Amino acid sequence: MVNSALRIPISLSLSSLNPLTKIVAVLPAMLFVALTTDVSAPLALSTLALAVLLVFGQVGVARLAKALVPIAAIALGFLIFYPLIVRRELVAHTPVCFVLGALPIHEGALWLGLTAGLRIFAFVSLTMIFNLTTEAHDFARALVQQAHVPYRAGYAAMTALRFAPLLRYELTVIRAAQRVRGFGEQKGLHGRLEVLWRTAIPLLASAIRRAERAALAMDGRAFGAYPTRTDLRRMRFARRDVAFVIAFWLATSVLIFALWQLGWLGPLAFVQRV
Amino acid sequence: MIHIEDLTVRYLGRRQPALAHVNLSVRQGETVLLLGPSGCGKSTLALCLSGLIPNSLEVDFSGRVLVEGIDTRQADRAALAQRVGVVFQDPDAQFVMLDVESELAFGLENLCVPPAEIDLRIQSALSMAGMPDRRHDKVWQLSGGQKQRVALAALLAMRQRIIVFDEPTANLDPAGVCEVFAAIADLKRSGQHTLVLIEHRLDELMDVVDRVVVMAEQGRIVADGDPHEVFDQHFEVLQQLGVWVPQVSALGHRLRVRPTPVTLAEARERLPGRAASVKTADLFSPASNNAPPSTHQPAICVRHLSFHYGARLALDEVDLTVPRHDFVAIVGANGAGKTTLAGCIAGLLTPPAGSVFVDGRDVTTLSPQALARHVGFVFQNPEHQFVADTVADELRFSLRRVNLSPTQVEQRVEEMLARFRLTQYAAANPFTLSHGEKRRLSVATTLMMGQEILILDEPTFGQDQHTAGELMALLRTLHREGRTVLIITHDMTLVAECACTVVVMSAGRVLFHGPTRLAFAQPDLLAEARLDLPPLARLAHQLGFTALTADDFNLAAPVPQLPLLAGASDQFSAQASR
Repeated sequence: MVNSALRIPISLSLSSLNPLTKIVAVLPAMLFVALTTDVSAPLALSTLALAVLLVFGQVGVARLAKALVPIAAIALGFLIFYPLIVRRELVAHTPVCFVLGALPIHEGALWLGLTAGLRIFAFVSLTMIFNLTTEAHDFARALVQQAHVPYRAGYAAMTALRFAPLLRYELTVIRAAQRVRGFGEQKGLHGRLEVLWRTAIPLLASAIRRAERAALAMDGRAFGAYPTRTDLRRMRFARRDVAFVIAFWLATSVLIFALWQLGWLGPLAFVQRV
Repeated sequence: MIHIEDLTVRYLGRRQPALAHVNLSVRQGETVLLLGPSGCGKSTLALCLSGLIPNSLEVDFSGRVLVEGIDTRQADRAALAQRVGVVFQDPDAQFVMLDVESELAFGLENLCVPPAEIDLRIQSALSMAGMPDRRHDKVWQLSGGQKQRVALAALLAMRQRIIVFDEPTANLDPAGVCEVFAAIADLKRSGQHTLVLIEHRLDELMDVVDRVVVMAEQGRIVADGDPHEVFDQHFEVLQQLGVWVPQVSALGHRLRVRPTPVTLAEARERLPGRAASVKTADLFSPASNNAPPSTHQPAICVRHLSFHYGARLALDEVDLTVPRHDFVAIVGANGAGKTTLAGCIAGLLTPPAGSVFVDGRDVTTLSPQALARHVGFVFQNPEHQFVADTVADELRFSLRRVNLSPTQVEQRVEEMLARFRLTQYAAANPFTLSHGEKRRLSVATTLMMGQEILILDEPTFGQDQHTAGELMALLRTLHREGRTVLIITHDMTLVAECACTVVVMSAGRVLFHGPTRLAFAQPDLLAEARLDLPPLARLAHQLGFTALTADDFNLAAPVPQLPLLAGASDQFSAQASR
């Protein structure tokens, strides 16, 4: 049903894949990461994710690095603060590494902090395969076309996404406009709430007005006239989508299998509980 | 084509109907201009024509609207959407998608048009709207004028034969306005569409208009007919209503030229014998109704100011000295740096130290409160500056840091309410005021502190002729009282009527700074800044002399044109480019 001339030009980049493909591909790896308690699997899987991003993502090292900095900071935070707040009985059997004031820091505590941080890092790296290479509008389209989300909901989401930057800009204008009148420097909880409320009123007034206009413009162009609609740009599960899912699943399993063979995998969360 | 019979519309929660017993017919292929003061129901009528009222907005509705023989109340959305379309005022509010192609496809997809045909229709609609190369652009990369063309193309793709334009140029800079008018003229020329226009910049538009319908309160039609007839015979009524009329028609009335000219071309034919040109000497004097700027310490001094947003250079080595008691207009296309410059002066942005001085003091050394006592800034949208629940509280808020006894405060509030004719609304919520009243309130709150310097961003935006005229009179009074007034505007008529001095900006630089008359004597300069002469100045230019306002045409008894002028204007440009 789709005219072949209308297809998006094929390339090997992640952004040309169906957004749902990327979710399906990384989901097993993410689940597995959530179960691990050791460092090797998170390390291996985040390396895999970053490698895929660098080779097929067309993201650029700089942008990737920028996206990873905050999450790396959080992972580091875990390493530093986990040992301070960890339940003592969990790590008491491990040797003490060093003493911080009156607090003995156990080797086990450091280890727990490290694995927790790495798990989060790996988790987020895997989501980046989706995050960094997908336009929100394409995702909404795929949800409507393949996941059978009602198109009214999908398009409502798209319109809302379009409004976000406009409203953000308007918020800065309102803040500036009120600041010129000496409003906004109120102190204390009551003052802050007052500021919030006074900024919210004009922003809300304008958001409602915009939403109303957008709804009229959409209705005026026959939105919702029929139970279905056609799509100029069809999101599809093409052969490369299937290939990507299989390849990524394969790579994930090979890595895990190899780690298991080498005995580096460590106990999994549910195994421990048994 | 369109028949409206006894149409009455009342919005829920309102006591008065927006439209009451309106009857109107529009023939196929006609181009109708709808005029009326703000709040008269023009936009409501536009929504009724497109069937959005009553199908999408819940209202009390009686009477009938027939579009190509179909009753809009019974018609389904698809049938209506293939017949009537509306281009709205705000280009950003009417887009659904992120790129031009998807935006045009949106309506066709809703109509279940097969993809192959969508593809063809998109291409032809873009060509008709004069944007054949923009198919793959992102919407946010387009200028305001281009956005409105895309909105039009999206309707053309749906093959609608009736197109309603509801203030399509209100949010645009002069270049964008030209672009939209050119698209409307093309559409008219193609002869396939019935056009209904709601617009207040009339001089540029009258060439395409076949018929003018003037509405008063609740859509009551007070005049309907050929533009010549309406602007000739009903002129006084239109003036009383506060409706915009073509400036050349107003001039014609003033000079008693009959029949009243409606287009620039007609004015050019009929006026020369009657209009007098200004004397050469007047070109150097500031606008006649304005006091000359004094030569004391400058109110504002900007030195080598450059300003960046991230990597983008917004101001490039700007130098500007504004003397005390001057009335300055900053003009330029969108993105020229006008708002950034004003923001640096008013403390909205932080300029580099040593580059902006207000009353001789570096603004970066002043606290926000101290700067606010020198400079008042009125934003384009009055609502953005409201911070209180009642009109009187808005005024009191401005005084809370000033050392005054409660009785003095109340006295000052009373005075301001009276002066800005807001006394009857003292207890009303600011958001419930009309647009003109909101604007007056925002100027009043800004002036409470008695600042010497007042900056206004697009003060006439969205006003009808009546409120715009009031505002101009107010600004002139403030200026006469000795304040330094600085306006940022696209409204070249406002500049011509009020400003003594013009700063023409383009791409972050000041192209020209000098007397308004001198700026308007140089169409090339304005063209470089992507600006246009206001209608009367353009008329004068075509007639071979320089004039800004209707007053200039009235200055003297009829005299022959000045042969000197060509040489004289060369002399000005030489001086201006010093």
